[in-house]
Amino acid sequence: GSEAAGGEQRELLIQRLRAAVHYTTGALAQDVAEDKGVLFSKQTVAAISEITFRQAENFARDLEMFARHAKRSTITSEDVKLLARRSNSLLKYITQKSDELASSNMEQKEKKKKKSSAAKGRKTEENETPVTESEDSNMA
Amino acid sequence: MDGRVGLRASRRAAPTPRVAVRSSPRHRARSGSGLGKENKAGSSTPLRHRPNAFSELDNATPRVMLRRIIQNQPQVSPLALQTVQLEETEDAQPEPPSQRTSSTVELQLPDLVPEDASVTTFRMTRKRKKLSISEFERAADKRLPQNQAHSTLDSTLVRSLRMSVGSVMAPDTVEKRGLLRRPQNHKAIDIAAFEGGVEQNMLQIKAQDYLVDLQTSSMTGTTTIRTDAEVVLNNTELFVEPQLGEQNLLAVEPQLSDSKTSAQRSNTSYPAHEKARLEGLVSRVSTDERRTLRFSEKDLITDHEHVDGITQKTPAKQGEEEQDHSQQNDPMEQFSESEEMAGTTQHHADAEYSEHSEKKLSRKAVSQLTAAQDAGVEMEMTPSEGGVAEGTEHQDSPKAELQMAGSPGGHSPASYSLEKPGAKPLKEAVEQTGEIERGTITGVLDAAEEEATDDESDIEDHESEEISMKTPMFVHAAAYRPQPVLSPPHPVKSASPELPPQPVRAKPVPKSSGAAQRKTREPEIASSLIKQIFSHYVKTPVTRDAYKIVEKCSERYFKQISSDLEAYSQHAGRKTVEMADVELLMRRQGLVTDKMPLHVLVERHLPLEYRKLLIPIAVSGNKVIPCK
Repeated sequence: GSEAAGGEQRELLIQRLRAAVHYTTGALAQDVAEDKGVLFSKQTVAAISEITFRQAENFARDLEMFARHAKRSTITSEDVKLLARRSNSLLKYITQKSDELASSNMEQKEKKKKKSSAAKGRKTEENETPVTESEDSNMA
Repeated sequence: MDGRVGLRASRRAAPTPRVAVRSSPRHRARSGSGLGKENKAGSSTPLRHRPNAFSELDNATPRVMLRRIIQNQPQVSPLALQTVQLEETEDAQPEPPSQRTSSTVELQLPDLVPEDASVTTFRMTRKRKKLSISEFERAADKRLPQNQAHSTLDSTLVRSLRMSVGSVMAPDTVEKRGLLRRPQNHKAIDIAAFEGGVEQNMLQIKAQDYLVDLQTSSMTGTTTIRTDAEVVLNNTELFVEPQLGEQNLLAVEPQLSDSKTSAQRSNTSYPAHEKARLEGLVSRVSTDERRTLRFSEKDLITDHEHVDGITQKTPAKQGEEEQDHSQQNDPMEQFSESEEMAGTTQHHADAEYSEHSEKKLSRKAVSQLTAAQDAGVEMEMTPSEGGVAEGTEHQDSPKAELQMAGSPGGHSPASYSLEKPGAKPLKEAVEQTGEIERGTITGVLDAAEEEATDDESDIEDHESEEISMKTPMFVHAAAYRPQPVLSPPHPVKSASPELPPQPVRAKPVPKSSGAAQRKTREPEIASSLIKQIFSHYVKTPVTRDAYKIVEKCSERYFKQISSDLEAYSQHAGRKTVEMADVELLMRRQGLVTDKMPLHVLVERHLPLEYRKLLIPIAVSGNKVIPCK
């Protein structure tokens, strides 16, 4: 009974997620339609959203596998990068983004350090220093 | 009569008098008239009549009648008659045509009755197929109450009707199926299975090809097939602790000895190449690392390392080690080797392999070999003396190498094997290094000339490269040749090692390119191998262009998977591709799913020996506890 209720709960949740994905897909399709001047039939949008949802499930499973493979219990950006290896351009894009994120994190850390250690003037100076992107992570 | 009785055992016996009664014109008229009345009036009176007429005929149950009709009246559907008759009670308005048909059928029924008596066999007419069973049953149901049949009879009648009709139908369908029964072996090619099978078979066939080549060239059947991955793996482990090698040797030994049992090993080894090999490779790599550590200093020695590893092992642990490192170095080789000879076979394989490579070497330049050999010997001596704790081994390794070099040098494999078992000869060989080298050089030349050119020239290139690099020790060359020989099947793997910043790999790579720049060529899979496998699975003729495309596809495929494997092992912070990586890859590929666990695939595709090795490991969930 409780398990069934939990299962139902889960099913409801899945449906809600599916609906959310569908809504977002519809919105994106709308944007693309306006942009390119094409029309999207409802079946198309439904198909795309269903595909997206299932692929997201696949990603989740793969990410968990990757994290476990690295003997970790947390999914990190490294796992995501490994996941994106399927497509070269996607991998480049993701590594780029992750580098930007990492550098911005570094900057924030430095700022905090500076804040704590020095006057705020130093911090402003650091903010102005250009952000150097670290090289792409190893892309096998 | 008998037929009727037999047909309906459950029914009452059909009395002949009834038949006679039925056949009597009076009855016919009655039935006909009755039917006619029924048809026209749609009332139940005719039914009453009919029941009377039919009730007299015990056998005149709807079932029996229908059967008779079916048997004898192809054109007229008794169902129409029955329906008309049976539906009268309900409120069916028999259509004029049906009425007419019913009347005709009615009229015919009495005819059928006597006929039925004579009919003892069941005649199935195709047209009967068109009987609507539901209609029939409806009619039967209606008829049954009218006939004052018992409820049981009704049910039985219905059932019998069904059965009769069904049986009528069944033969037709059966016959139809019979017509369609044609052996259809054409299966849609399952791409995933094909790819997996191609992988495995490529390795297998590659090994077999090499085995054949080796054998033809008077080498024992041990083929040291080293995939690029193996080579890479070995190389990557260059800097692993030397101690591991020995331990691995020991550990590997029992495993390898088991594998040596059957020729299937070689085959299995290939399929399990990526998996079992990885495991074995780890141990071997460690041993190789030891070797490589010693010779890492010398670029030329990179190839030798493998060979050295093999040779060194033997001297160190004589019988066991020999087997071990031959096993370790080339699990595949060992498998194939073990089949023929235990331990010595492996060495032979190495020797053969070295011979094989030697012949390739000869193509390149004997002088190179000589020079390299000399240099290698010296270098080997130095490094061996230098850092490795295996003092005796070092000495033995050069000796072993020499031994190996000597054996491939055209000496009978037996001599080689004889030498191998004894460390003493190895030691002596050290002194005779120079002599052996010379001998090997000649041997190499001879071997080269003897052996037929391989399909893979790139293999030769590799071998030549390696040979030139490790000329001093033919053992190295021999040990390493299997690697290059194997490399063609796995060009990707050889490429992948170059990618990661692994010092071990870095050394051999520049060496090979530098040493054999003349014929530097990326390893390719033997096109004959691809053709064999592909045509085996396709079962239809294939054009040459198609083979080319398939070759390109497979090359790209192997490149991709080797790159993936490298990424996965790196992701786990390792430098060696392990079975866990391969399993992860298979999961990602969709070959292994929640519904299809890995060991099922293993059972399906791999020979039995490998199953024993792999399945417990696969089931253990990436927790491999090497038996020590």
